[in-house]
Amino acid sequence: MAGRAQIPNKSSALIAMIADEDTVTGFLLAGVGNVDLRRKTNYLIVDSKTTVKAIEDAFKEFTTKEDIAIVLISQYVANMIRFLVDSYNKPVPAILEIPSKDHPYDPAHDSVLSRVKYLFSAESVASGRR
Amino acid sequence: MEEQDQMQSSIEVEELEEQQQREGKRLEEENVVRFLDSLDSYVTLLDSLSSTLRQGWLELASARQSMGASRINGALLDLKFHSAATSLQVTHHDDEILNQPHFTLCKWASSKNGYGDEKLRENKLQTNSDGPQLRHRSQFAEKIPETKGAPLIVDDQVQKERTKSLSMFGTLVSPKLRAAQLSFETALETLVEIANVRLTMLSTSDQVRKELEGTEG
Repeated sequence: MAGRAQIPNKSSALIAMIADEDTVTGFLLAGVGNVDLRRKTNYLIVDSKTTVKAIEDAFKEFTTKEDIAIVLISQYVANMIRFLVDSYNKPVPAILEIPSKDHPYDPAHDSVLSRVKYLFSAESVASGRR
Repeated sequence: MEEQDQMQSSIEVEELEEQQQREGKRLEEENVVRFLDSLDSYVTLLDSLSSTLRQGWLELASARQSMGASRINGALLDLKFHSAATSLQVTHHDDEILNQPHFTLCKWASSKNGYGDEKLRENKLQTNSDGPQLRHRSQFAEKIPETKGAPLIVDDQVQKERTKSLSMFGTLVSPKLRAAQLSFETALETLVEIANVRLTMLSTSDQVRKELEGTEG
């Protein structure tokens, strides 16, 4: 049929979380918790005993699963695996750094803002004017 | 006569080139404006998210104080098999213009019922910038029958899902815990908006960067 609009391709997906207990509890109250048949959850609660390796493994797992579209990660946790977070550049799942109870959001550490801040540097502005 | 024709055609070519340059410049400026708008929205939404989360944490702490710390902690989280009641719908468009995915939050969707249990929230910011894509209403919203009883059925189902989610902390819970649940639901809506704005910001920043590199080269 001429002029037919593109039919968008839709899929259902989950929100994963790597955050402190209160943040994860709050979002689980909002209904985002998922436990599969192997009892694997879509969240990791980070506390003082959580190792960096466990956080890295969870990040890698959540960013490679096809049924996860957004990964929420507390910014202070993201700072522990900053290299991994900054090197991630796929559109889906989207990695969103969120504040935590004890660590307010710092735009200077946000990986998305870091990627675009070069556009505001004096060099890029000056080169655009030449 | 021939010289006049040649002059005429060269003038037309020059005018066409000027028009193309003006059009190119206009598109570049549009990209810059879209990028700056999305950046402003991103920062504003993050600020809003911070205050919503603060409110949620405070309500959670109040609930813990009234119910006791042993009744609200990570050990009580349900590890039995269950699907997420709140999920995302990811829409992928295959055409060249709308080539980025779009996230829509599906709150308290029940897998048992085929209609009326889903509350879909569209990203209002995206409505302003990505026209036709956001006028699309959820297929589930369209299935809700237009009777007086239908909205009440939807609300009942949503309340049941909310109660089910709260039940992991007991049958009788503090009103503060219910308030915390609503705050985190609001935070989820903001996060989905942030996710969509983030995609726009990254794609427009790439376009602006390419234009700058083209100017330098």
